[in-house]
Amino acid sequence: MARFIVRRIFWAIFLFFVATIVTYLIFWVIPADPARLAAGKAASTADIERVRHYLHLDRPIWWQYLFFLKNLVLHQSLGRSFVNRQPVRYLIGQDAPVTASLVIGAAIFWLSLSIPIGVLSALRPRSVLDRLSMTFVLVGISAHPVWIGLILSYVFGYKLHLTPIAGYCNFFPGTPGAECEGPIAWAYHMVLPWITFMILYMALYVRLVRASVMDTVNEDYVRTARAKGASETRVMLQHVLRNCLLPVITIFGMDLGLALGGAVFTETIFNLPGLGHEVIQAYGNDDLPMITGIVVFATVCIIVANLIVDIAYGLVDPRIKTR
Amino acid sequence: MRTKQVLSLFMLVGGVGLLVAALAVGGAASGTLRPGSAEALKGGTLRLVEANSDLDYVDPGLAYRTDDWTMLYAVQMLLVNFPEKSGTAGSQLYPEAATAFPTVSKDGKTYTFHIRPGLKFSDGSPVTAAAFQRAWERNLSPKMGSPLGVNDGFQYVIQGAQDFLAGKAQHISGITAKGLTLTFHLTKPNPTFVSYLSMQWFGAVKPNMPYSSSGLQTFPSAGPYYISSRTPGRSTVLKRNPYYKGSRPANPDQITFQPDVDQDQALLQTKAGEIDLDIGTVPPTAAADLGSQYGINKGRFFVGSTSCVSYLTLNTARPPFNDTTLRKSVNYAIDRPALLRVLGKYAGKRTDQVLVPGIPGYQPYNIYAIAGANVPKAKQVGGSAIGSAATINVVHANTPSQTNRAQIIEYNLKQAGYNATDVSTPATTYYETIGTKGTTYGVALAGWCADYFDPYDYINVLLDGRSIQQTNNVDLAFFDNAALNKQMDAAADLSGDARAAAYAKLDKEIMQKYAPWVPYYIASNRYFVSSRVKNWIYSSYLGEPYINALSVG
Repeated sequence: MARFIVRRIFWAIFLFFVATIVTYLIFWVIPADPARLAAGKAASTADIERVRHYLHLDRPIWWQYLFFLKNLVLHQSLGRSFVNRQPVRYLIGQDAPVTASLVIGAAIFWLSLSIPIGVLSALRPRSVLDRLSMTFVLVGISAHPVWIGLILSYVFGYKLHLTPIAGYCNFFPGTPGAECEGPIAWAYHMVLPWITFMILYMALYVRLVRASVMDTVNEDYVRTARAKGASETRVMLQHVLRNCLLPVITIFGMDLGLALGGAVFTETIFNLPGLGHEVIQAYGNDDLPMITGIVVFATVCIIVANLIVDIAYGLVDPRIKTR
Repeated sequence: MRTKQVLSLFMLVGGVGLLVAALAVGGAASGTLRPGSAEALKGGTLRLVEANSDLDYVDPGLAYRTDDWTMLYAVQMLLVNFPEKSGTAGSQLYPEAATAFPTVSKDGKTYTFHIRPGLKFSDGSPVTAAAFQRAWERNLSPKMGSPLGVNDGFQYVIQGAQDFLAGKAQHISGITAKGLTLTFHLTKPNPTFVSYLSMQWFGAVKPNMPYSSSGLQTFPSAGPYYISSRTPGRSTVLKRNPYYKGSRPANPDQITFQPDVDQDQALLQTKAGEIDLDIGTVPPTAAADLGSQYGINKGRFFVGSTSCVSYLTLNTARPPFNDTTLRKSVNYAIDRPALLRVLGKYAGKRTDQVLVPGIPGYQPYNIYAIAGANVPKAKQVGGSAIGSAATINVVHANTPSQTNRAQIIEYNLKQAGYNATDVSTPATTYYETIGTKGTTYGVALAGWCADYFDPYDYINVLLDGRSIQQTNNVDLAFFDNAALNKQMDAAADLSGDARAAAYAKLDKEIMQKYAPWVPYYIASNRYFVSSRVKNWIYSSYLGEPYINALSVG
């Protein structure tokens, strides 16, 4: 087991290097000059060179990358934003809870809704509920989150005044100058983003659960359990749900890591100051340290999540750790 | 089977219940977020947002963008400032922290200001001459890493500033502060100097305000407001300065600012009263509807002119636009109204001048075709040279707005008989491409907004050929005319009415005789406010409303 864990950790470190090097290389070939942007509209050539030196952009890319690694390892620093010179670690630390609010909140909803709907659809195939849920699946997978978000905020926020149109409130009170804060205001402002974000995933999970349950209920061990006189509750909880949720858990772990991509749309539409929103702004400003910082953070999150899943699988399934 | 269904239904109800609960408690909380309805002029919170952008700095030593300065205008006290008045009255400087305009020595090199007694920062400490000395030093200090003052060449303006910038001196020897007396010793006479002082870089800061290369987020200030908190990317909060005793308005108790919002959502939020104003302006496509629904400048939808001139720069360093007649011909060929229509309704006012209204020396004239393309005249002026002219590269950034305009320009040029081709360039390197000596563009889209309200900032800065360098030029036309350069020098040395008259003459002469540009419009900004916002006063200098004057009572 120890060898398996060590191997996985080395693999995670290798992935980290690959992701950060690729990010640096991509930025290197983009035709942009952050020094010129930072120097202002009337800067002389000497001024731009001074700014370039200040930002270390006059050094070779390998030097910049090693400097970045050195700061990361020795000082846990991700550098400073080219745009406002704030520490990237601080900005990410500020944005990450917002994205976590969106992703984790939406995940709770999509799991809470998709599992029962998927199970009911599987138990009553071609019933009205099943047909409705499959229609929802089709719409959920086809409709873009931007469109869904705009429609929801227009109908429920602007027309019906049931929710805010956009905006974010901190969960914890005490933010200076905040117009709204606290768990209630936070949840109220997150309702539409959660719904927008969860629809695609919920559609996918309904279909996944439905297919999984339909397969599982016909398994021999389910029939055996019933033959042995187990109650329906026990059969469902112990034999059907437990087994059909295994692929759901696997996919769920991966989806949480990939959620940053989806969060970009939802955060933009609802003005949520999260990582997805930040990465769009950073891209527009050629803010390499910010983009690299977010990539590093997302990479670490995905690597850690996968590492935990791998280790957990190794513990659960002896066949995996012996490979 | 029944149990299975009950179990599934239970989970379904649970999930829906969570959503409903969040909505229900949220509905209860929403009451606290609704805008107030009090009619008082003072009080309340003014809620500002900005679409797709954020303030980069609020530290006056680093701040440069228009939105930065809009915030700083509310918190800063300057030696000389623009009053909170609309129109031309708003572009007349008045002594704010100074008791009067400076006394100038006979040789024109020493400016002496006397600071009003009794002025205080938001922490209660007094404002003295040292506050303004420190502002200059923070702007030019190598410890700040600020490119700003250096860009405008301030190190050449004040004696000893170059040594200070190079780290060879602790202070700028040309600025002396004794109590309430502030003296500037210039390297040479400079009638523009007082205009420089209207820039937000030179507002009063505490004499011990530290140098910070990343910029301070909060600091005591002497204007009507101070920045009470700021979290970059999240929010900025301004509160009324309790020690401010001046005459400038300070209507809202508090001004909040949220950056980087979606432009369309911000408009919807303003209509619904969730926010009061998007200082990033309304979506261009919404302007026409807003204008017809609410009227212009009648309470909700406002259109205000800026100091920004948009122009097509013609590359005078290479054929075909090294030929003056062809430059004049193109000025007739371009369809200015069509270029403006691309930007949505109320986007600006057509022009064929370098200077903009409000700038001293601006005198309206009409030389070329501002009502639409005049193709016969363009052909007549260009004559046979059009047929033999080299192909014109119409270079533009790869944004939708610039691409649309470039297509119109290409069409107009072909209509007049020119060969033209559309060349798209990445937006991030656009100015680098057209601002590098030897560039092959023929026509390129460009624009300029004033740093300070003086014709020097347009004519000398943009068209004095002696400033041409290898890269990053602002004289994008590479226009260099020795006779005009001399006239520019002479105009820059004048002051008052003589200065305005000299620049008015230059403005007309440049376009009439040399036509290095095709100026096509003076930009306007379009704003929509919530129903509770009153007392709209617009600054054409800032290109923004005076936020300290807005009332949400």
